Amino acid sequence: MTTPLRKGLLVGAAGLSLASSVAACAPSAQGSTPQKTSTITGPYKDGTYSADGDYFSPNGGETVGVQLTLSGSTISAVNITVHANNPNTREFQGQFKNGIAAQVVGKKLDEINVTKVAGSSLTSEGFNKAVETIKSEAK
Amino acid sequence: MTHPGWNAFSFDGIGTSWEISTPEELQEDVRAGLLGVVEDYDRSYSRFRDDSLVSALARGPGTVTLPAGASELEGLFKTLYRLTGGAMTPLIGGSLERLGYGHDYAVRPLGHPVPAPRWEDVLVWKGAVVSSSAPVVLDIGAAGKGQLVDLLAAVLRGTGITEFLVDASGDMLHSGTEPLRVALEHPYDPTQAIGVVELHDGALCASAANRRAWGDGLHHVLDGSTGRPVETVVATWTMAATAMEADALATALFMVDPKVLAEEFEFSWLKVYSDGHAEYSAGFEGTLFS
Repeated sequence: MTTPLRKGLLVGAAGLSLASSVAACAPSAQGSTPQKTSTITGPYKDGTYSADGDYFSPNGGETVGVQLTLSGSTISAVNITVHANNPNTREFQGQFKNGIAAQVVGKKLDEINVTKVAGSSLTSEGFNKAVETIKSEAK
Repeated sequence: MTHPGWNAFSFDGIGTSWEISTPEELQEDVRAGLLGVVEDYDRSYSRFRDDSLVSALARGPGTVTLPAGASELEGLFKTLYRLTGGAMTPLIGGSLERLGYGHDYAVRPLGHPVPAPRWEDVLVWKGAVVSSSAPVVLDIGAAGKGQLVDLLAAVLRGTGITEFLVDASGDMLHSGTEPLRVALEHPYDPTQAIGVVELHDGALCASAANRRAWGDGLHHVLDGSTGRPVETVVATWTMAATAMEADALATALFMVDPKVLAEEFEFSWLKVYSDGHAEYSAGFEGTLFS
């Protein structure tokens, strides 16, 4: 089995306004942990921008790569790449009686029929940091 | 809303948001009883308020008498302290404060990580009575939220309510005839889930290293033998009979191989690693999207 080193998570959608893009991450099903919002006031130059934000993972050094495409001061595309720099393979041996998924697969919460969510309610700080960097680049 | 037509009682307690769902609206006296239990718990165990019982131990050596439920925490923490070789310890509070997760939420490191003091060196915990021979910052957070979930469930059962969900922001206990589908939040993207689990008459708890993170690699799940944040595991989920055990085991999964825990606990587990792969026990079979 090979361990993928990069994982792309497409989280954006065309036509989101910059001001609402990060706030939109808050899952409505839980509504407990306040999500930080990134308020951006334009104008910005059109183009595709990339920046890394610190990902506050247990590995310490990991980052998320954020790529935004701006057109008319709105985000037309968002791509987040998680740079996993500490692939863990040590537990692959001797674990066959338990299950292993090579990669977890995400589905949008609003596409699955659930009323409750159990998880981390990750603060999107790394994402927000990267957006801040992009804001200053795009001025 | 847990099931269509159910009522929700929402409140804040011990630093998180709670929602108790029941088929019928809870009576005023039941609500008051629930809030009273939450307040008692906070006043006993919060290391964030000066008037709590555990805060007395932080000021200097001494003895405090905790509520009766403390003996369950004692047994659980002693077992996990042993199984994790000291990595999981209720004495982790000082290490957390050192990294900035203290009283005033300074959220910046106050110095190099410090390991927790050894239990056998500073702490005598027998039932509800806890004595320390040095100032210690007792932090029962790894199991405390779960135990409070169980205590609130006991209040509901005591009033004859058998169908309910007690949800402490993702750590929850279900009781009743109708199972509940619960999404497993994607550790990197809170708008997504990585799977759905069916919860029925039991507890589901989650732990994630990034839930209360405040700096590069500084999060709240620390290894007590080094005082440093644990590496590699991103998120864990557990199912067990009680929320107290599920909660504590979700944290313990960061420190130790699940096989070690499975020798002494009846529980199901799911671990997601920072490279995106997942491992799980039979109880989580078929829950992950593929």
